Amino acid sequence: MANDSTAAVRTAGVWKIFKQEAEEVQAVRGVDLTVGRGEFTALAGPSGSGKTTLLNLIGGLTRPTRGQIWVAGRDVSGMTSQELARLRLAQVGFVFQAYNLLPVLTALENAEFPMLLQGVDAAERRARVRELFARTGMDGLEDRRPGKLSGGQQQRVAVVRAVASRPALVLADEPTANLDSAASEALLDVMAELNRDLGVTFVFATHDGRVMERSRRLVRMVDGAIDSDERRS
Amino acid sequence: MQKMHARVLVVLAMRNLRRHLRRTVLTASAMIVGGALLVFSFTIGDGGHEQWIDSGVRLGNGHVTVERPEYRVSRRIDDRLTADVRRAAELALAAPEVAPHVVATSAKLSINGLASSSAGARPARIVAVDPVAETGFGMVDDQIVEGRYLEPDDRLAAYVGAELVDSLELRLGSRFVVQAQDTEREIAGQLLRVVGIFRSGVPAVDQMTIHIPLTTAGEWLGSRSDVTNVGVVLDGSAATALVRGHLERALADPVTRGDARVMGWREADPALAAAIAIDDFGNYLTNGFLFVIIAFGIVNTVLMSVMHRRREFGVLQALGLTPGQTGAIVLVEGLTLSAASGLLGVALGLAGTWYFFGEGLDMSGVMENIDDMTFSGAVIDPVIVPLFTARRLLQIVAFILSIGAVASIYPALRAARVDVTEAMKFDR
Repeated sequence: MANDSTAAVRTAGVWKIFKQEAEEVQAVRGVDLTVGRGEFTALAGPSGSGKTTLLNLIGGLTRPTRGQIWVAGRDVSGMTSQELARLRLAQVGFVFQAYNLLPVLTALENAEFPMLLQGVDAAERRARVRELFARTGMDGLEDRRPGKLSGGQQQRVAVVRAVASRPALVLADEPTANLDSAASEALLDVMAELNRDLGVTFVFATHDGRVMERSRRLVRMVDGAIDSDERRS
Repeated sequence: MQKMHARVLVVLAMRNLRRHLRRTVLTASAMIVGGALLVFSFTIGDGGHEQWIDSGVRLGNGHVTVERPEYRVSRRIDDRLTADVRRAAELALAAPEVAPHVVATSAKLSINGLASSSAGARPARIVAVDPVAETGFGMVDDQIVEGRYLEPDDRLAAYVGAELVDSLELRLGSRFVVQAQDTEREIAGQLLRVVGIFRSGVPAVDQMTIHIPLTTAGEWLGSRSDVTNVGVVLDGSAATALVRGHLERALADPVTRGDARVMGWREADPALAAAIAIDDFGNYLTNGFLFVIIAFGIVNTVLMSVMHRRREFGVLQALGLTPGQTGAIVLVEGLTLSAASGLLGVALGLAGTWYFFGEGLDMSGVMENIDDMTFSGAVIDPVIVPLFTARRLLQIVAFILSIGAVASIYPALRAARVDVTEAMKFDR
């Protein structure tokens, strides 16, 4: 199967089947999807529709049962755990529903963490994080530990962490699910701005109407398969 | 990049230890107490062993002894060292590389014979010595019960074990006769007078031993100033291998010819060496059990920590850490905790044991009939002075570190094998 190297992500005939005791659950069924660089795409659907599993497959957190996945032009389907870890470090940023900041690190250190692993030098790390903190309204909160930040602030740090290492794409799984309306809107503003100004590719898994409304492409999933794929201007 | 990873892992490990301070302190406390007990137990044990060795070698032939190969079995006057070998041995012991370790040297003629008085005859071990050299070599001052030790001008004087004195019904000033084979292989007799009575505490020594001047033995047995062995007492048993090796090199020719053999105290007194090995084994076993219990405590604590942090390990792997690096964080935590606790434990143990360094630990309260206690030919002193050696302390630290590392392996594997997507679902 040909690979589109201009795409941030491409999946071809991807299946994910979980075994639950004697039963097989087809979480993702033959998904073909291409996400171009700089897209702001939402995977929408009810619980159990397979959107989070598809996100995990794209991010290399789980392996497909069948089919192929390319991230930034690289086939991840047959990669080892080490190769997947390196791919995530270099090409993928994650934003999780529960923020998942490291509790022992400050906001600044959390945001720097992937770059630290990448070996980016200290001055460069600081410069990137400070610039993104300024954009996301996190100025002055650099030295706070996650426990001392609100949910919205923690999620902004998570977004900065995902973006600062300059990955090929950012995968955001229900990023607004734990936030109130105002914080959700503010976070979406931040991500939309980063997408527009810096060209960061975002793929969301969501059932939040606000996220769907703000996305420029809406892929609806039902029972593990793509039901519709709508592009907006 | 790898160097950067290692630094990040260490920082994360340290911060996590600090974050769960109570859990860290509790685990560390167990290791600190365990480490302190190890130091106490081993320094006291090593001190006791050194005292056994010192007692054994002073009653016997020193930390290192030179004798003819046949002498150990025959105990005959025929198996004397030649004057050349004796001279070469004494010269070698004066060499600058070993001389600082040499506390005393004594050349002796030691043979089996018979002691008789009007009360009867008893087998005797006749030890002919240079009185001055032997005063520094043996434990003469501590053992005199009555009278005095031999002096350089003595001729027919004898310094006799208390039980032999009793069995021959002798007393200070009594005369008695000793008989032994002379250099002509004839039985020769010698009249002696008791000038001193001693009690070493070792029955075999007190029942048989008679010290006489070497000059007296030379005239009596025709052996002139010949000796059966040259023994050396060192400043500690640790110097045995060095001095033995030096003597073996210096006496390479006579050793090759079969005219001499150099032995360390372990070879010369295998019973004492075995007794110490058995005692050490008991010590290792007891402390091993103690640390197995501590290790289970560490496994439990670290594993609990890993179970509580499944989500965190999932996040780390999602962010780009490999499973191995994730496990390494747990290992680094375990090792850091062990290293810090081990060092503190050793420091605490040293501080606690140091008190006994001067006066010694008096065990007489827990040892019945302590005056009669002997062990493999050595007298047991109830006051034990701990022995501190860098080697032992390093062993203890290494042991604690190993326990910490081993106890962290299983939790580390659990952290490495975390299912990232499942861990993300896990919500505390």
